[in-house]
Amino acid sequence: MRLVLGVISVLSALLLWQGIAAYGVVPRDLLPAPVDVWVAFVAILRHGYRGTSLQQNIFATLGRCLGGFAIALLAGVPLGLWMGMNRRIAAAADWAVQFLRPLPPLSYLILLILWLGMDNTSKVALLALTAFPIIASASMAGVRGVAVQRIDAARCLGASRAQIFRHVVFPAALPMIFTGLRIALAAAFSTVVAAELMAANDGLGWMIFSAEKFLRNDIIVLGIIILGLLGMALNGMLVGIDRAVVHWRGQE
Amino acid sequence: MSHPPRVWPITLAAIALVLALWVGATEGGLVRDLFLPPPGELWSAFVDLLLNGYKGWSLLAHIGFSLERVGVGFAAGAVVGTLLGLGMGYLPVLDGLAAPFIEFLRPLPQLAYLVLLIVWFGIGETSKIVLLFLAALPVAAVAARDGVRNVSPLRIDVARTLGASRWQIFRHVVFPSALSEIFTGARLAVGIVYATLIAAEIIAGSNGIGWLILDAGRFLRSDYVFVGILLIGLMGIGLDRLLRLAERRVVHWAGK
Amino acid sequence: MTPRIPRRTLLAAGTAAALLPLARARAAAPLKINVGYFVETKPTMIAKGLGWFAQDAKATINWLEMGSGAEINTGIAAGSIDIGMAIGSSPVAAGISQGLPYQLIGMVDNIGPAEEMTVRKAAHIRTPKDFIGKKVATPFGSTSHFRLMGFLALNHLSQSQVTVLDMSPAQIVAAWQRGDIDAAYVWAPAKSKILADGGAVFRTYDVLDKAGYVIADLFVASTGFASKNPGAVTGFLHAYGRALEMYRTQPDAAAKVVAKQAGVSVDVAKTDLAQYDFVPLKTQLLPQWLGQPGKPGQFDAVLVRTAQFLAQQKSIRSAAAIDAFRKATNTTFLANAAS
Repeated sequence: MRLVLGVISVLSALLLWQGIAAYGVVPRDLLPAPVDVWVAFVAILRHGYRGTSLQQNIFATLGRCLGGFAIALLAGVPLGLWMGMNRRIAAAADWAVQFLRPLPPLSYLILLILWLGMDNTSKVALLALTAFPIIASASMAGVRGVAVQRIDAARCLGASRAQIFRHVVFPAALPMIFTGLRIALAAAFSTVVAAELMAANDGLGWMIFSAEKFLRNDIIVLGIIILGLLGMALNGMLVGIDRAVVHWRGQE
Repeated sequence: MSHPPRVWPITLAAIALVLALWVGATEGGLVRDLFLPPPGELWSAFVDLLLNGYKGWSLLAHIGFSLERVGVGFAAGAVVGTLLGLGMGYLPVLDGLAAPFIEFLRPLPQLAYLVLLIVWFGIGETSKIVLLFLAALPVAAVAARDGVRNVSPLRIDVARTLGASRWQIFRHVVFPSALSEIFTGARLAVGIVYATLIAAEIIAGSNGIGWLILDAGRFLRSDYVFVGILLIGLMGIGLDRLLRLAERRVVHWAGK
Repeated sequence: MTPRIPRRTLLAAGTAAALLPLARARAAAPLKINVGYFVETKPTMIAKGLGWFAQDAKATINWLEMGSGAEINTGIAAGSIDIGMAIGSSPVAAGISQGLPYQLIGMVDNIGPAEEMTVRKAAHIRTPKDFIGKKVATPFGSTSHFRLMGFLALNHLSQSQVTVLDMSPAQIVAAWQRGDIDAAYVWAPAKSKILADGGAVFRTYDVLDKAGYVIADLFVASTGFASKNPGAVTGFLHAYGRALEMYRTQPDAAAKVVAKQAGVSVDVAKTDLAQYDFVPLKTQLLPQWLGQPGKPGQFDAVLVRTAQFLAQQKSIRSAAAIDAFRKATNTTFLANAAS
């Protein structure tokens, strides 16, 4: 039922869009019709865009996003867990995490480019720094949120610190960690377009910015649609993994 | 863990260590001031900006422009989004119709459709406000919808048995219960709006603190860039704190 | 008894024989040059499109498309760019003042009328005073911005009287179509587009040039790269010389190549090309421009003036003295390429 409603909704929107553009309610060069976007899509599939193929652009953007996310995950989860378990470590590191967290990524991109160069290194670093504080904070919160009674109960039963961590703390923290991962991936994906603003030669963001320079609005819209679909797919993937792994979410 | 140890000395020590490394690297000539200005230089740059402004506006004016944009965009997007989300939580038909657009808009990188908005509305305030509105809306909507969905059905049944009308149920059971999720969504939204605003000022602007670092960065005035980044960071923390304060007040008043 | 070659020697000889081609290949590995460039209607696109840069520099070129001259500065500071092509004199003045590690090695062009003020006919702007209360757009940090600021200074107009907006060329075109701005100081192709859309030229370039607000597009090379690969740098400039020659002798064919590279029509390419003063390599060595090796010319004075202006605007902390600019000007490669 929900699916039917959704399909109806999207189809009517597409028809409305085609109508508005085709009948000139809004000038067609300002708002390309769905048909125009499709034509652009096929053209780029066949001939590429300014020397880059569509696949190349998609993979470049995805690669940067997932690369940065992976680094943030590998660094953020262990640090966050540690900060959750050890108040001294949290005191030493959390101030930096909490400062980095609300800092808009594009504001320090130029510094990263100066330090790390204009190739992919600075872009992946930007994404990693965007995702890292979110993941670390969530992991720390996940550990801290574990009910104290559970830890005490385990300790009474004679469990060692390591066992307590593995069987009580970590599973209890996992839902929070996964929530953090989802938010972090969304943030990284959002930021990858920003990262392709300067000194990029490929990627979907680059394609959109380049199309703006050449006044190709149809390509801009195409890029937006592809990015939107990719974003939904990435989020859906993570939700699926979340449900599969953290099947005890929501249970007390 | 009975008494948490006094840890703020550790935090101070860690900050002091970073500062010491910073001073050492810059004064010791390890790093050029282009890449990392010494703290002293940052202080004079900050005072300079405070006293003389930047390219025609005072520092406070630049900060004001940015905060104003955040405020308007966030308020509009959060209010409309929350209303939409509440509606989606209550009316499955609305949920079915609106969900595809919300789910598409939410992960969509804001900068991508900023380009389109600029093509349509120009680089002035309109395109930025519309952008921020669209950035906040889906987050607020999903949070409100989930807030409504997660209300304990037991409570609703109890209220209904006691003879409460639909509106009364909403006002006294559903809404207060959903409030905490709505506020979580609001905090997430403000973060996204803030990051988007800075990016928007960088791409298409002539004032604002985001534009200030872009312009200073053009000719590598790293001192202004660093000061700008620090200010942006502090503003971001401030915004989050503000919302947390509001949450505490409002949720307390609404009663749980 | 025939002496038998010990196995070890055989093994060593065999390995050496196998590795020798590898070693040779390594020594002969082609040089890679990172070049920051612009998609523009200039002969630079001829040498790029026809592969002459790679040919004469005997290197593979990693082409990095730039959004502004300031980006080239950032790239060289970050170590990602070896040669910057068609970077404006404004960013160069800023870069040398800040001690960025590069040298001025040649000129792409003297800009002259190619960057100019375009006013909207409907805004009725006839004299400088008519700009009061109007909105003028220009890409900040560019040579056009420099000219615009010079225009305001010469006519005693302040930025509270005239609203100056920071826009990229593409944003200027869009804003013009929407009617958001009354004038713009910018270059081709944006300039031609807004001119064709209800615009008129408001001449400023000759007055500004006379007052010392000369602007040019330049070649720069990172100092480290240039000292290690003088032959490549010379070859690079030589390729540009060839492109200038082709534009001089076969303008139509040249315009065709430029049009294809820049993504514009041949007519637009022809019109845009005609507006620049492409100073031939030999002429660049004269005292009025860059001067002979060891005898820096008068262009350094232009750069000092530009830097002083930028410092006044607080775009850079301080302008370097003329000595710094003289030191940064290295026309050795130009002299070799022009001969």
